[in-house]
Amino acid sequence: MKGRHIIFRILRYREAIIDPPQFQDFELTVTGTMTVLECLERIRREQDPSLMYRKSCHHASCGTCACVINGTERLACVTTVFALDTPVVTVEPLRGFPCIGDLAVDMTAFYRHISSDWSYLTGVSRNDGSGALRFEDCIECGACVSACPVMEREDAFMGPAALALIHREIEKSPDGKESLLALAGGPHGEQWCERALDCSRVCPSGVYPARHIALLRKMLGK
Amino acid sequence: MEHVIIIGGGGTGAALTHDLSLRGFEVSLFEKGGLVSGTTGRHHGLLHSGARYAVHDPGAARECARENAILRTIAPGAIEQNGGLFVAIDDADVAYARDLIDHCRRCDVPVREIALSHALTIEPALTPDIRYVLEVSDATVDAWRLPLQFFATARAAGAAIHQFSEVTGILRSGDCVTGVRVRDHRRQIDHDVTGDVVVNAAGAWAGLVSGLAGIPLSIQPAPGAMVSLKGRLTDRVINRLHRPGEGDIIVPQRNCTILGTSIWHSDDPDSYDVPPEDVERLIAACAVMVPSIRDAAVHAAWSAVRPLMGTGDTDLWQASRDFKCYDHAVTDNLEGLVSVIGGKATTMRSMAEETADLICRKTGRDIPCRTATEKLLNYRLFYRIES
Repeated sequence: MKGRHIIFRILRYREAIIDPPQFQDFELTVTGTMTVLECLERIRREQDPSLMYRKSCHHASCGTCACVINGTERLACVTTVFALDTPVVTVEPLRGFPCIGDLAVDMTAFYRHISSDWSYLTGVSRNDGSGALRFEDCIECGACVSACPVMEREDAFMGPAALALIHREIEKSPDGKESLLALAGGPHGEQWCERALDCSRVCPSGVYPARHIALLRKMLGK
Repeated sequence: MEHVIIIGGGGTGAALTHDLSLRGFEVSLFEKGGLVSGTTGRHHGLLHSGARYAVHDPGAARECARENAILRTIAPGAIEQNGGLFVAIDDADVAYARDLIDHCRRCDVPVREIALSHALTIEPALTPDIRYVLEVSDATVDAWRLPLQFFATARAAGAAIHQFSEVTGILRSGDCVTGVRVRDHRRQIDHDVTGDVVVNAAGAWAGLVSGLAGIPLSIQPAPGAMVSLKGRLTDRVINRLHRPGEGDIIVPQRNCTILGTSIWHSDDPDSYDVPPEDVERLIAACAVMVPSIRDAAVHAAWSAVRPLMGTGDTDLWQASRDFKCYDHAVTDNLEGLVSVIGGKATTMRSMAEETADLICRKTGRDIPCRTATEKLLNYRLFYRIES
């Protein structure tokens, strides 16, 4: 299979060691359907074992490998290098999260406004009329939060993922509607959203958080 | 209480951190990368009913059946309780069905014959050529969030969980292991951590870890390829009703469909090649059961390295998926080191139970295991609990 030389320009960071962050280039021969994650694996293995990034499932289910690739939030595991079609591929950590090293970020802030009581499962009806539970589409990867232009400057905003999950929770548990709507309409809620729609644009899982925010606003009479 | 050091932040390490914390031990876990970045996270997400192993590997079958029921109870939030079918397509499959049912009954694996017409009603994507269908208690598990629930619960109980912390050496004093040397990739420093017992729970990497102590461990890393297709083609898990082999598992999850799997020998647990010919064969084999698979777009293809116990099987499909705990004081005259090898994601909790029982025996503690009934915390709490 014919390979192509690609330069991976990776933003390196180590608190007090590579601080501020600096780009470092790694050259790799890429073939076929190789993904950015596979290339990171290869770089860590063959060129620099200290490279830090998060990853787990390799098929867009866990959400751990979200990063900023060529300027856009994507999952490294399902981003094929040839589809990017650039001789240099830049890889940076998600924006707005504390970086714990290179591409690995601390996701604690993502969950600040997301309750552990909100179910990760949703009910569906099956072909035989029976009910079943499915995982939510949102894989909590943080891409929407990173892409949101408001999150960058407004610490009070809970962000698109939390609002989308609030709306999903209202759909699933109408009994809790009042208190959930109070959150959505509260000091950390939808009032901050500027309808930039970047959240929906980058969501790798088809959640379209902006649509959920619009529906919450409708419920709030806005 | 004794300080137990666990090497490896996959499913086994997660469940063991939880188990030992619950029994009151002081626990520190070290994972060289991010959590669940090895085999566990990459598995296809099938919570086995046990039926797959009933004929050739009854120990693993019983274990899967038991653990399947336990995990549904302690971690319902990480499981789509969707059920599964075994479908017979040809004469050989039909002939195998009686054998499978007998063995399932012997292994306490619940299995039930269902009418073909009913099977096609509940799973219209199945080929109309099905000849016989069994219903089993398979489910789809979130391979990332289930271990994270164990980690969240362990962290709440006080366990110290260290990511990006690679064990690069095993500290010894004569014939006794006294701790580990850790490379902290975050701070780029090496430091020593002392403990009373060190557990090698590194899965497919366990041979490399035991090598740090100069002990050979019989591990056979056996990678397999998987394919994720866009679109959920079935509600339930679909298995081919035959002797376990290539391309005979279809695991729907969210809005995708995962096809598994192939198998090959590897000496290198870090080998993540995905042979394109394996992808083609998986699609062709699974499409015999669900024809629309041929038309679905491939979303991802990847491989995961099974941590088989190196028993020298030439037919890897027949290799046991059971697990073993080794007390290296007994096997290698080295006190203070325990290894747990083999097993599967479905049996992560029981692997932990057996290993923690062994640690209790070694430390003279008589503390019963509680993990079969203790509900796990939501995975989101992992991030909300201060470490």
